[in-house]
Amino acid sequence: MKYDDIIYLLPLLSIGVGAVVLMLLSPIKSFSINRLSWVTLFFLVFAFGATALNFGHVYSATPFKDIFSSMLITDTFSGYFSSIIITGGIVTVLVGSHYFEKANMLRGEVFSLLLFSVFGMMLLVQTTELLTAFIALEIASISLYSLMGFQKNNVKRVEGAFRYLVLGSIAGIMLLLGTTLMYAGTQSTNILEIAKYISAHPHANTTLVITGGTLILITFLFKIAAFPFQNWSMDAYEGAPLPITAFMASTFKVAIFGFILRFVLVDFHELKSIWNDMLFYIAILTMIYGSLLAVFQTSLKRMLSASSIVHTGYLLIAFVSISNIGESAATSIIFYLIAYFLSSMGAFGMLSYIASDDHLRVTYEDFKGFAHIRPYMAAMMSIFMLSLAGIPSTIGFIGKFYIFVGAIQAGYTVLAIIGIFATFISVYYYFKLIALMYFYPSSEMTNVPPLKGMTPLFIGIMALLIIWGGIGNTLISYFPGIDFLIDTARFAYQSLFM
Amino acid sequence: MEVSFMSYILLAIILFSMGIIGVISRKNIFIVYMSLELMLNSINLMLVTLSKHFGNMDGQIMAMMVIAIAAAEAAIFLSLIVALYKLKHSINIDDYNTLKQKGTL
Repeated sequence: MKYDDIIYLLPLLSIGVGAVVLMLLSPIKSFSINRLSWVTLFFLVFAFGATALNFGHVYSATPFKDIFSSMLITDTFSGYFSSIIITGGIVTVLVGSHYFEKANMLRGEVFSLLLFSVFGMMLLVQTTELLTAFIALEIASISLYSLMGFQKNNVKRVEGAFRYLVLGSIAGIMLLLGTTLMYAGTQSTNILEIAKYISAHPHANTTLVITGGTLILITFLFKIAAFPFQNWSMDAYEGAPLPITAFMASTFKVAIFGFILRFVLVDFHELKSIWNDMLFYIAILTMIYGSLLAVFQTSLKRMLSASSIVHTGYLLIAFVSISNIGESAATSIIFYLIAYFLSSMGAFGMLSYIASDDHLRVTYEDFKGFAHIRPYMAAMMSIFMLSLAGIPSTIGFIGKFYIFVGAIQAGYTVLAIIGIFATFISVYYYFKLIALMYFYPSSEMTNVPPLKGMTPLFIGIMALLIIWGGIGNTLISYFPGIDFLIDTARFAYQSLFM
Repeated sequence: MEVSFMSYILLAIILFSMGIIGVISRKNIFIVYMSLELMLNSINLMLVTLSKHFGNMDGQIMAMMVIAIAAAEAAIFLSLIVALYKLKHSINIDDYNTLKQKGTL
């Protein structure tokens, strides 16, 4: 029994231990940056392996019930999200060690902070208690604030970190206020007990619970940069170093969705239709605003940041349809998250790998004729762009397909139409990069890093995964393809209700 | 004189509103930071009051946790304020406008 519990907690433990070990190692002079990054990778890969032990079947367990009093839960759902978060950490370390070394700002503490952030996100998707969620969110956010402002001689970094810090603290306070109101309404902060209370008292006055839930949803909408709360994201993403932007825009978003899906599906099973009207309009406005923002950007980093707002809009479509078609909408969110994670992390990672040597390739214009200098890198970049735009034979298409079909099934045809319209617009700003890379004469050769080493290899694997997720099964029979990912998403959903 | 349950809650609400107004309207970054702490502490007051009202200890334990988180946030806030002051020689929030200008990576 105890042995099983340790196995379930092993990923979280190893990341936590790794963060502390790296913090202790970082002041030692004989430990070079390179060695520290290998230690970080060791802990991350170990945690991934420990998560992978439980893949492939539906399980749900509360490890060490007597110590944690069922505040922590490990199930297929948390395993699925943890593995995405750990992969995000691995890519960030690989890309980041290269980027920070060139930017001459790398100190050992970066890795420790990164692991603390990963730890907080993993805790966030495993918790069933609102105060623990607040603490996990703050662990993840505080490490991110310090990572953003790590280059403390650069005004832009510190300023971006400060803005994110002020607004992020307000969002955290909203979550705490929501928790307090929940506690006032139900005398408990455990999600499962709140759910029991709501179903046991169907006619009770639920004003406090609904107000608290709304405040928690506001925190969630803030952190995923949905429409009325999106302004911080452009500043924060612009201010942060590129690998950290990648980590925030893709991995943190996945973690937040992991928490809020558990919260809404388990806790507010009976109440969640209240927020449907609000979320309906927020989804529409998020898609429209994000598209408009992305069309007019000249810097690629800002374009990717703006387009991540549009992707939030797509995810919110499925989030609205949950109340009508629970299982398939939730599954489509879980699946779309991995599609978005692979494409966005790959695009950001590739961009920061290219930008790490010469800090010149930042706008669309700088990529003119890039395919003639670095054909393979251009090909990978094109795959990420195609997947982000949702072109068939990539995983992004399958993800969007499920979301739009789900929206039509749930009766939200308007949302599906606006989503498809936003996809049309997105083709403009994604394909502009592909066109510039391929259809222009080669520009002068600048210091683009060569295509060798671990980082491009890992990014290349992500590009292959995108293709495999899009066409997988039709080429090689008996080889796990797209069905495998969808089944995993479905298992993850089922494990929530065990 | 017996102080009622509602007056504590009312005090917490007033403190929280003062915090929100401070964050929105003040220009001095120290006052912005103090307003955020005020909001956190008003929530603490609410938690402790609720805990006393319900007769269980959960709220007080949560308040302790919130104090710990607030301390961690204070560390990062103050260090960022120092870093910003060294770069900008100002603690007025209107002077922090680097990100509005067109920049590079």
